[in-house]
Amino acid sequence: MAAADDTLLLKRLLAGEQRAFKELVSTYQSAMRAVAYAIVGNRHVDEVVQDAWLSVVRNLGGFEGRSSLKTWLLTITANSAKSRYKQNRREVLLDDLPSPHGTVDDDRFSSTDGHWLVAPYAWHQDTPEALLTENELRECLEHTLLSLSELQSSVLLLRERQGLELEEICNLLEISLSNVRVLLHRARLKVFATVEHFEETGEC
Amino acid sequence: MLTCKEQVARSSDYLDGQLSFRERLMVRHHLMFCPNCRRFIRQMRLMQATLKVMPAPPVADLDALAERLANEHLKNKP
Repeated sequence: MAAADDTLLLKRLLAGEQRAFKELVSTYQSAMRAVAYAIVGNRHVDEVVQDAWLSVVRNLGGFEGRSSLKTWLLTITANSAKSRYKQNRREVLLDDLPSPHGTVDDDRFSSTDGHWLVAPYAWHQDTPEALLTENELRECLEHTLLSLSELQSSVLLLRERQGLELEEICNLLEISLSNVRVLLHRARLKVFATVEHFEETGEC
Repeated sequence: MLTCKEQVARSSDYLDGQLSFRERLMVRHHLMFCPNCRRFIRQMRLMQATLKVMPAPPVADLDALAERLANEHLKNKP
């Protein structure tokens, strides 16, 4: 959302317009959930996001627009998550969990010359809209996203769905750039393998 | 010259603009000569675009939450 839209929305929020709150929640809650999910895991997402919303509402008058509204909301969410779970803040887990359709791993390449042994299968569709008309593929993707570790899926969604820069993700989640890069790459290869499998076999 | 395997290992960094100038040139050079890797990168981009437009799950109890937040805001207003 552009800065001008932020300003307008903020005005309506400060006036207490209920529809504006509805817009705020539906626009930003999924990004906030991704941040919370990365830091505290599935079990505590709801309470952290709820804490964050209350804190947002209480501090709305103090928002000065030095960052975008989205960055401000995500920072509050990250802080809520961290303050609630300071004691048991988890190590950065680079664990790679198995994914339903695997990944693009070493087996795909010749061990002698590094060429593809099994070349990438050519997908039938060439736009996201065309791919997503297949309901089964959509479900299949959801399934793969759920199979990723909490941190891996959050990093992927914050990058691809929410369009955050890598540096923003590092700052919010307090993880290094090299870890963000590793998490993102592994997650992408798994999602790639899922789409490839679906395009090749027509089933999930 | 990079191998296909090395190209794939660098693909995310390539797509995110995280490679050094020299490494970016090496990837581009490989892509110029390798149709399989060109297809791989093209489909990686398509996968990214698909995740981007894939709708997030809807907010549960949106109306109730919005109402609660609006009330909370009015309560806190000086």
